[in-house]
Amino acid sequence: MSGPVVQLAGVGKRFGAGPRVLSGIDLAVSEGEFVSLIGPSGCGKSTLLRLIAGLIAPSEGTVRVRGAAPAQARGSAFFVFQDPTLLPWRRVAANVALPLELRGAPAAERRRRVGQMLELVGLQGAVEQYPWQLSGGMRMRVSIARALSVAPRLLFLDEPFGALDEMTRDRLDEDLLRIRERDPFTAFFVTHSVAEAVFLSTRILVLAAQPGRIAASIDVPFSGPRRAELRESPEFLRTLAETSRALRAAAKGAA
Amino acid sequence: MKRAQAWFLPLAAGALLIGLWYLVKRLTHLESYLLPSPGEIARAAWRERATLADSVLITGQGAVLGFLAATLGGFLLALILGLAAPLRWALYPYVLILQMTPVIILAPIFVLWLGQGTPSIVAITFMICFFPVVANTTLGFASVDANLRELFAMSGASRGQELLHLRIPAALPYFLTGTKIAGTLAPIGAITGDFLAGTAANGRSGLGFMTITYFSQLKIPELFAAGGVACLLGFLFVGGVNLLYWGLLRRWHESARARE
Repeated sequence: MSGPVVQLAGVGKRFGAGPRVLSGIDLAVSEGEFVSLIGPSGCGKSTLLRLIAGLIAPSEGTVRVRGAAPAQARGSAFFVFQDPTLLPWRRVAANVALPLELRGAPAAERRRRVGQMLELVGLQGAVEQYPWQLSGGMRMRVSIARALSVAPRLLFLDEPFGALDEMTRDRLDEDLLRIRERDPFTAFFVTHSVAEAVFLSTRILVLAAQPGRIAASIDVPFSGPRRAELRESPEFLRTLAETSRALRAAAKGAA
Repeated sequence: MKRAQAWFLPLAAGALLIGLWYLVKRLTHLESYLLPSPGEIARAAWRERATLADSVLITGQGAVLGFLAATLGGFLLALILGLAAPLRWALYPYVLILQMTPVIILAPIFVLWLGQGTPSIVAITFMICFFPVVANTTLGFASVDANLRELFAMSGASRGQELLHLRIPAALPYFLTGTKIAGTLAPIGAITGDFLAGTAANGRSGLGFMTITYFSQLKIPELFAAGGVACLLGFLFVGGVNLLYWGLLRRWHESARARE
């Protein structure tokens, strides 16, 4: 694959007359990378994610996705929000089908994709349920199935598992990687958890606050498929320690 | 046990009130034209059953027409106000002015324009029911979850799709809340309208006009009976609207679904 998928040059952002949320962000991400954004709260990591997704526009600099404006890449990109953001009046199947429906996919294809995706996240039994009938973890699975239903080449995840308990989060992290082995996509993942970032990513960007900027970039070199046991390996713990140090340094620099 | 209580307690309280009513009448020796007994009212209602049934029909018709016009018109106006912020700023003060102007002053104007009878009664009912629908529905359209809107943006949804699949369903509970309030007001509106602009064309008249007639003839038990019948009409109306609310929201909305 030639050239980066996502490229940011001198990107800064401020909301109205407020302080600078982000400043001087340069970044190039290639096809197939899994990039985590981590940093102290208020460092602008969610803002950075939204900028790359084209949900908001930068105040300075340029954001390019495949050489064009991010909004042009909508057809091959999707977003997983912090909350499941399901439509409460739609059953699970209809919620998963929503993006395909809005993009005008034929009904037969929608049914097929929805079936596949629900099987992928282990929710075949919940097709007829309404969101309020599901647990928090199940709702998040529906949200993931919905994002994957459009077969995105680029997926943005904004702290998707932040509100879940650790066990559920670990399971969902493992599932996410398993799904990605089958249908590869480039991912941007915002999280508060160092362990989650290390487990999932090929690269971790540590952000510092005021103004938000990239303080460190850590490559995560694990080879082979990642399974739950990876969390106990020495190389995992080493990267964990390295990332924690970088995060502490970034937090101290800001204080 | 709870179920039995739910039936028994209101009935017992009602019996107690009727007993008290008889007691007051016995002790004070009030004439029937000042305070008729429940029995006299019941007999009057039976005597006048044909007239009262006809009145309820006429008033009910005015209430339904005014209510439908107000919910439909209110929904459409709220759609415009909710979707276009500049229009909301421009028009909302005038919606308020319309609401603040007492109907009792508007009534003669309606009569002037539309004549005595049904059109004026419907217009008065409309005026009374319109505002709660507009206010609630506008709030619904304006307070759609920001993340859901971004979800639709991410999905490449058109404005029409966003309206159909997001804004209208999201505003539905608000609209139905406005409709509920309008439902309690519609019979009152129609009776008020009939009181102010009603006629006895072809010897038929609504409850408001009957109120005037009974009062001028000092048929006080009949007046009380008309009040009771109006109350029944109100319950019927509210029951219908609540049924609609429950039917549309019971599957998904917090306020209507069964607890598990």
